Amino acid sequence: MRPLTIGRLFLRCGVLALLLFVVVVIALKLGAVQVSLYGLGRDLIRVLLHQSAAISTDYGMIVVDIRLPRILLAVVVGASLSVAGTSFQALLRNPLADPYVLGISSGAAVGSIVALMIESQLAISPEYAGLMTPFGAFLGAAITIAAVYVLGRREGQIDSTTLLLGGVITASFLSSIIMFLMSTLAGSSFRGATYWMMGSLSSLPPKSLLYLLGIGFLVATGAIYTTASDLNLLLAGEKEAMHLGVDVPRVQIVVYLAASILTGLAVSVSGAIGYIGLLVPHAMRMIFGSDHRMLIPASALGGAIALVLADTIARTVVAPSELQVGAVTAIVGAPLFIYLLRKRLS
Amino acid sequence: MADSTHSLVKRALLVCASFCMFFFTADLAAQTSLPASPVTPAMHEVTDGYGRTVRLPVNPSRIISLAPSLTETVYALGVEDRLVGDTDYCDYPPEAQKKPKVGGVINPNLEQIAALHPDLVLMTKEGNLLETVRALETLGIPAYATDAHTVDQIISATQKLADVMNVPEQGRALTTDMEQRLGALQTKLSGIPPRRVLFIVWPEPLQSIGQNTFIADALRRAGAASIVESNQDWPQVSLEEVARLQPEELIFAPSHSGAGDDFDSIANRPGWGILDAVRNRRYAIVSEAIIRPAPRIVSVIEDLARQLHPDVFIEKPVTEKEAHPANSAAPVTSGAQQKPIAYRSIEAMPTEISCAL
Repeated sequence: MRPLTIGRLFLRCGVLALLLFVVVVIALKLGAVQVSLYGLGRDLIRVLLHQSAAISTDYGMIVVDIRLPRILLAVVVGASLSVAGTSFQALLRNPLADPYVLGISSGAAVGSIVALMIESQLAISPEYAGLMTPFGAFLGAAITIAAVYVLGRREGQIDSTTLLLGGVITASFLSSIIMFLMSTLAGSSFRGATYWMMGSLSSLPPKSLLYLLGIGFLVATGAIYTTASDLNLLLAGEKEAMHLGVDVPRVQIVVYLAASILTGLAVSVSGAIGYIGLLVPHAMRMIFGSDHRMLIPASALGGAIALVLADTIARTVVAPSELQVGAVTAIVGAPLFIYLLRKRLS
Repeated sequence: MADSTHSLVKRALLVCASFCMFFFTADLAAQTSLPASPVTPAMHEVTDGYGRTVRLPVNPSRIISLAPSLTETVYALGVEDRLVGDTDYCDYPPEAQKKPKVGGVINPNLEQIAALHPDLVLMTKEGNLLETVRALETLGIPAYATDAHTVDQIISATQKLADVMNVPEQGRALTTDMEQRLGALQTKLSGIPPRRVLFIVWPEPLQSIGQNTFIADALRRAGAASIVESNQDWPQVSLEEVARLQPEELIFAPSHSGAGDDFDSIANRPGWGILDAVRNRRYAIVSEAIIRPAPRIVSVIEDLARQLHPDVFIEKPVTEKEAHPANSAAPVTSGAQQKPIAYRSIEAMPTEISCAL
């Protein structure tokens, strides 16, 4: 692998960003309602020129008010999950680590459900009510990862296998909590347990939530990026990294907190979508190598591309009905994962 | 040193670039909220089933229904020509299937809804999701939700829907008819002990209804009492518990419960033989209207009452039969076991109440 230079970093990210743009345009074009490519291009240019009032109301609302926010949501959620997965894999030096496998997604889902229940009891104005759920999800994710962290410690050191097992057990425990909450306390106006355990992007997020997600993603990813070089050293092992002068506990705390924020934000708006955090980092590592200064932005862009594609499939294959996007990521992701795993082994 | 400053620059540039990208996209999203259609028709404020105060057009002309029960109500009120879309599950009356579809009840397609330019979207608090309400709010599409947990509330919700769709007289005619028919039935059934029944929503795993559902209330009106004491709406019940309670009758709606069309597909499931009602073939099949909080609930209540309490509905045949009991034309009910009382009645009530004791 050639050494990473800033030029190469930007070139690669530029290519990925271009790919993301193409995928977003394709996603904007496709949907339950037919939209012509010409009309789409004309309207996008109008939006960029701040002339959105000139857009014909006919599909202005559909493309711009329904499809675009959903695609942006897929971009942020995909990027968040993917960066969270990258961080966990580096930190635990375990290729199977990902927010879904470690139970953090389930914890965030439980947090979201509890927040939803509390929210429906209190009379909060709708603009703020939407912010309760991401906060609850973050708390759920943070508490879960703290619990999994404690479970995974052995003689003061994190033991990857123990932690992973602890995560799997926690995930299954929390899934049953979700089932319990759904079948006893929650009214029928909430989404069912399948949504939280499979994931879907069909809820139209309010603008305030989209901003919160975007800012949260940038802050958390930025925080993780500051540890990129340390994560590279951590690949050699915790003790080795410590000997090389890495402040391992600090890196761990930063990455855990930031990854909890990323997972919490993503899950609160989309449920627990699996495989993105597992597969995209793998694929990016195969293409670009395991230098985290490259891997983190590449995973963010790759995760966005993957989830926008998956959600476009979920939206269109059975239109006007929809599939759960988590089902699409699993159906595409599981075989691909097995392939990657076998390729690694051989 | 040189390398670390280099990487610092890289980081800074990257962060800047991602910020730019984000604000560009966020700006894109912020730019896009369009005002609703420029022509604003007369509006009024109504309180809906969520307790929200919603602004609705006084005379909506493009209505979308997001639940089968609402579609039925729209047709019952005779305003189906204003219905521009409904869900995949809206199958009654059959013409409703030909309306443009907007997807399912739980996951309607927002694009499809917006494409139909509705000025009123009808929802139920029970069946639709809060997030669909929020999404429609975000899009500025007027939505009105009903909320009915009893038969009386179904009647008042029907009237409110009639008001919201600006046909209050049709509403009054419809609800008066519903009330009168239920009143007549109540008079007929007064003093008759209710039959203890198990309502089967889904046989495997066995799911029944809670006491706070409109279905439980409909059963009460039909002279039946659900044996499942639960505050959940759709409790999962163990067969053991049902065996302990021993319902006198099983009730199910074939098209809805995945049980197939006949009693045997339920009765032949392992373990169900411990129920007296299964061994004695005591059951009633009702139309899927029982699970829809719509005006048709009255017909299904009447139908069920006839199936459960046939004696009450036999006026002259009773004396006729007592006149010549030995000369029974239909050689069915011999022995201790009763003949199964099961009618496949859909909309019209069964008129042939044959000699069921």
